[in-house]
Amino acid sequence: MKKMQIDVAVIGGGPAGLAAALKARKEGVEKVLIIERDVELGGILQQCIHDGFGIHRFGRRMTGTEYAQTFIDELEQTDIGVLLDTMVLEVTKEKVIYACNNKDGMMEITCGAIILAMGCRERSASQIQLMGYRPAGVLTAGTVQRYINLEGYLPGKTAVILGSGDIGLIMARRMKLEGMEVKGVYEIMPTLGGLTRNKVQCLEDYDIPLHLSSTITKVHGKKRIEGVTVAVLDKERKVIPGSEEYIACDLLVLAVGLIPENELSIGCGIEIDPKTQGPVVDEHFMTSVPGIFACGNVAVVFDLVDYVSQSAEIAAEGAAAFIQSAEQSSPEYVSIVPSGNVNFVVPQRITAGKETEVSIFLRVKKPDRRGTLDISENGNVTQSRRFATLAPPEMITCRIKVSGEAEVVLDMKEAANG
Amino acid sequence: MTLEEIKQSVGEMFPNVDLELSMDARTIVTVQGEVSSWQQVVDIGHFLAKLEGVRNVVNELTVKDLVIPKKDYSAFAEAGRKKGVIRKADVVIVGAGVSGCGIARELSKYDLDIVVVEMSDDVCTGASKANNGNIHPGMSVKPGTLKAKLNIEGNRMYDQWAKELGFALDWCGCLGVVTDERLMPAAEMVYKVALINGVVEPEMVDEKRALELEPNLANRHLNIIGGAYFPSFGQVESYEVVVALAENAAQNGVEFMLNTTVADVLHEDGEVQGVLTDKGIIEARYVINCAGVYADEISAMAGDKCFTIHGRKGTLAILDRHCPPEFNSVVMIMDMNMIQNQKNEESKGGGMCRTNEWQMLLGPSATEVPDKEDNTTTPEDLAYAMGTSSNPNAGYKDIIKTFCGVRPADYSEDFVIGMSEITHGFINVGGIQSPGFASAPAIAKMVEGIVLDDAKDIKRNEKYDPIRKPRVAFRHLTREEQDELIQKDPRYGRVICRCEQITEGEILDAIDSPIVPTTIDAIKRRTRAGMGRCQGGFCQPKVLEILARELGKEWTEIHLKDGNSRVLFEENRKGGAQS
Repeated sequence: MKKMQIDVAVIGGGPAGLAAALKARKEGVEKVLIIERDVELGGILQQCIHDGFGIHRFGRRMTGTEYAQTFIDELEQTDIGVLLDTMVLEVTKEKVIYACNNKDGMMEITCGAIILAMGCRERSASQIQLMGYRPAGVLTAGTVQRYINLEGYLPGKTAVILGSGDIGLIMARRMKLEGMEVKGVYEIMPTLGGLTRNKVQCLEDYDIPLHLSSTITKVHGKKRIEGVTVAVLDKERKVIPGSEEYIACDLLVLAVGLIPENELSIGCGIEIDPKTQGPVVDEHFMTSVPGIFACGNVAVVFDLVDYVSQSAEIAAEGAAAFIQSAEQSSPEYVSIVPSGNVNFVVPQRITAGKETEVSIFLRVKKPDRRGTLDISENGNVTQSRRFATLAPPEMITCRIKVSGEAEVVLDMKEAANG
Repeated sequence: MTLEEIKQSVGEMFPNVDLELSMDARTIVTVQGEVSSWQQVVDIGHFLAKLEGVRNVVNELTVKDLVIPKKDYSAFAEAGRKKGVIRKADVVIVGAGVSGCGIARELSKYDLDIVVVEMSDDVCTGASKANNGNIHPGMSVKPGTLKAKLNIEGNRMYDQWAKELGFALDWCGCLGVVTDERLMPAAEMVYKVALINGVVEPEMVDEKRALELEPNLANRHLNIIGGAYFPSFGQVESYEVVVALAENAAQNGVEFMLNTTVADVLHEDGEVQGVLTDKGIIEARYVINCAGVYADEISAMAGDKCFTIHGRKGTLAILDRHCPPEFNSVVMIMDMNMIQNQKNEESKGGGMCRTNEWQMLLGPSATEVPDKEDNTTTPEDLAYAMGTSSNPNAGYKDIIKTFCGVRPADYSEDFVIGMSEITHGFINVGGIQSPGFASAPAIAKMVEGIVLDDAKDIKRNEKYDPIRKPRVAFRHLTREEQDELIQKDPRYGRVICRCEQITEGEILDAIDSPIVPTTIDAIKRRTRAGMGRCQGGFCQPKVLEILARELGKEWTEIHLKDGNSRVLFEENRKGGAQS
């Protein structure tokens, strides 16, 4: 078995992994290695040919492929190692990676620090208890995107989309542009699952109807999908009797949520936050296993790639500091606790006894016209931030100052006046 | 019972329905008429079959305002007649499920020309696929039935099958514990039935013994009063068994004709002549009917209406490995709740077990359906399956796959196996539902006996080899073994299915078979690619690419499963990633 020693190994060569590797190298880490399972770098951005990427980071609207290429170009100017077409099978607490490919066989890679950047996967038909037959023509939005944008094939002619997550909205437009008929987007919740800008640019501009509080109760077609039964839901999310309607289609696209891919993390005993479904991380995006960091959609599903890169760079700084420091054990922490309309916050905790300024990423539980985020320690509000047009799909980020002396409570209240 | 007595008895039980009843010399009762619901069709069938002196029931009842889907064979028949005789064989086996493939392999020991005809694109696509892979010990079958006999015999033969055919078999055992005094007699009854049937080493257990067998039961803090343990409960992956049987049969000379539908059974003067399929006529001395839910229709084609299949569908759920099974054996915690959950009195339905790949497997439910191909999942059936779980950590959130199969149940609720008394040379293997999988080796032996008794002149196949080499499962190897394998064959270094860690080497190995898998699902059944938590979201395009490449087909020609189930319609950009 081939054995290697690496300072910082990055698992995943998508937007998180690329940004992490570059940052780690810039921070002076000597041996940086990206391990990527695909045959090319870029991750899911390879199939994101639509624009809207990089507005925060580069101040312009780029396609996903352009955004990724910017990093890949930069990477090519460095001595960062890249293993393509290589699958990581296991990560251990001792920071040993087992990975294989068809050239090197099995590799045992001993690392100073590891940055997990595997991204996320899509919720599948069975996971949302889609009922009826299980024919061909039921695909997740990401798979449809891959077939259409990357492989060059249409998986249907007449589509229905279940779920209004961002990829679903993007694919609604894409399919329309490819000459397909898109019958409509059905969303189980009373609110949109994706970004408002995507609703405007992908549905409204293309006359694609959006049906909120609606779902699919049955898939028809024994071999290839022939249609779906859609139904309207009441406030308890129960089907309103008599609201069922049959819609003929030959493709059902599922855009029903993303799940951080944390099989490797769980395998090495990393603590997972049930809310984010990603590792519990500190202000450096370090997980509960010292020296193993998580960033991008592994840590929490972000809605903008700009934030993915940002989280990756924070993790890379942390990893660089970790291997340069003598202290390799887990520090003492104080928690950051969500309250009020805050659903979750990343990082979930910060190093105790250290005054610091931290970037936080949070989502609200329910939409609101505006809200005030109170940051308090020991019951005293230390800072407040105001936000307008709150919605669960729109992630909120800001920097806060913490003393490290006590638990930090983040409480989002409805704005009091005006 | 005479026909008059039967009529009276039915009349009393179902006073408001107008039934036409007849009975043949074999005491097979045929019932016709129109009733008000499908449940009534099923209830009348079961009622008649249970009457003393009734061998079986041909149920031709219809339901007011309900179209009962019927398979139309006419187009298949027409296509086949045009082609005429395409093949002469000794034996035609209709259906490539566990019965058909098991019998094919058993008969391949002899100097016989055997053809297996299967309407689907692959072996193991019906009830043999969609079940929980339990090898039942034989304590829940009625003593004295053919089912009981074959279940016990079959169970004892599985070790040999596993050894010869190279599939995974885990004798995990089944432990039933009772937590309610009122249920103790039920547990004792199961134990007694096990003794009567001849189950291997059944054992009554007390709390101490139960905890010794399953230490994790202590975490449940149950008040265990007693229970019963059956060490001869086994677990297999059902498709692995059937593929192994089929491959070994093919190795020994059996021909498999897939995508071929039998449209008629040819017979003359009480002798079977062969079958008419959509591909043409295959002449044969013996026709063995292993057609699952269609077995009654095939038997009728042979001029022998002697049973009716009513589909009983079962929904199952597989859970994520993040929510692992608590117990190594299949543990049934018997309380009043569980008893009330058993709604279908003819079938208790399945319970909480686990796959050999260490995932929780729940169900199946048991719901009567008029359409034999209705394998739709419904919220009610899924609720039943999920309700069989006693694991406090498991819930809907953990489901990675729900699926459903249709059991081919007849009204005697027993197996119907034997040479037809009407058409000589036609052998029925019908009504093979649970414990059909456990019984399969014994069913194969029994049919072998029927053929040998009848033919008498059969020689052995000198080249017969019962051994089928097990396929390599990369995920089960140590890191060193994995490294060694990749060094020998680099194709094992490319992981295609990330969730289940299935390599390109395994997929290519599966394609390199006498029975070539041609669809995404066929690859899934053989390798597990796509069976993990993302359900093929990531690996489907890769598997599709490999299939197209290996089979020399266009991407648009690759199907998900049988029939018209292609994944892609047309190219939208010439030379996408392929160029």
